[in-house]
Amino acid sequence: MDVMSFFTWLEGSTLGHIAKSYGGVYAVAQTVHLASMALLGGTVLVTDLRLLNVALRDVPSNAVADGAHKWFKVALAIILLSGIFMVAGVAMKAYYNDFYWAKMAALAAGILFVFAVKRPLLKRDHSQIPGWLLKLVAVASITVWFTVAACGRWIGFS
Amino acid sequence: MGTAQTSPYTPATHIFRRDLNHYSADESSQRGFSRVLNELLLTFAQWLGAQQWSVGLHESFYMYNWIETTHVLTLTVFLGMLFVIDLRMLGVALTNVPASKIAERLDLPMMIGFTVMIVTGLLLFYAIPVRTTQSVWFRLKVILLIAAGINAWIFRNRMKKAKPTWDLDPTPPKNVRVGAGLSLSLWIVIIFAGRAIAYDWFDCGKDQSAFMNWAAGCVAAAAE
Repeated sequence: MDVMSFFTWLEGSTLGHIAKSYGGVYAVAQTVHLASMALLGGTVLVTDLRLLNVALRDVPSNAVADGAHKWFKVALAIILLSGIFMVAGVAMKAYYNDFYWAKMAALAAGILFVFAVKRPLLKRDHSQIPGWLLKLVAVASITVWFTVAACGRWIGFS
Repeated sequence: MGTAQTSPYTPATHIFRRDLNHYSADESSQRGFSRVLNELLLTFAQWLGAQQWSVGLHESFYMYNWIETTHVLTLTVFLGMLFVIDLRMLGVALTNVPASKIAERLDLPMMIGFTVMIVTGLLLFYAIPVRTTQSVWFRLKVILLIAAGINAWIFRNRMKKAKPTWDLDPTPPKNVRVGAGLSLSLWIVIIFAGRAIAYDWFDCGKDQSAFMNWAAGCVAAAAE
């Protein structure tokens, strides 16, 4: 099954039918998506602002990073589930929307960055990691997640 | 509820300075004080909507969308910080960090986010004042924002008073947890109300109950 066939199937599926037919359900899914986006953004920012020495400077950065990552995973799971529901209702429009694919690319980069780079690094004792590297990771993290959210918002305008 | 008037892939923004000005509501749906108040609000909204900058902002595709994008993305700063604080107060996140440190240190970024949200929110209202004034969801959002503000004020005082006794406990006392739970719930409903403004489910002029016309503040137009 190629990508276009998958999107065609998705829009015609029960999920697509529900998303398309019930505006109230769709709005609830959007709310869940936005609330979990806020939570994901909060956990990313708390960690990154700590790594940049902007906030929570008197709290060990290991404690902040570990505590925030647990809720980052929760937020990401809810975002993905609500996002699948949302795209099911407008699958063909999404398929032909450049910003949708930009968002997916940024999201893939963000997930890869967190689980392949950021988290393995931040699991270590931060006092043993050069300060510039921690700051670089924080800036990269803010940039990638901002790109995901901005592309997501711009889907609605394009 | 009907289908979505706008999907997330359709501009939710250029909804219409349409002729709500000329809408005649069921006269029985508004009486006395509420009618006068709604007429005043509508007159104010019409005055606001007639301003050159309001029209310009509404018709500017990029400006309007940038403002709305900023409003939505700032959720991650304002509500992101608030959710982290609330989850700590519920005793489910960052439990090895004193609760007061989380609340006090994240207060500044949270308030910066809140300020940006208020400014961009006012601009969004300024761009589409007539329809927004007569949106039941906008009205609900304003009421809930006031409720969330009162809850935050009570919550903050309660936290300050009780701080010496539980600050280092992983799980705060019940009244603090209740305040945090209420805060989370209120803000999630506020997001829903904000999102629902883009839908036309209960717009004035639709064939709907007198209660909905009352709640949306639909009044016969003074402009006719």
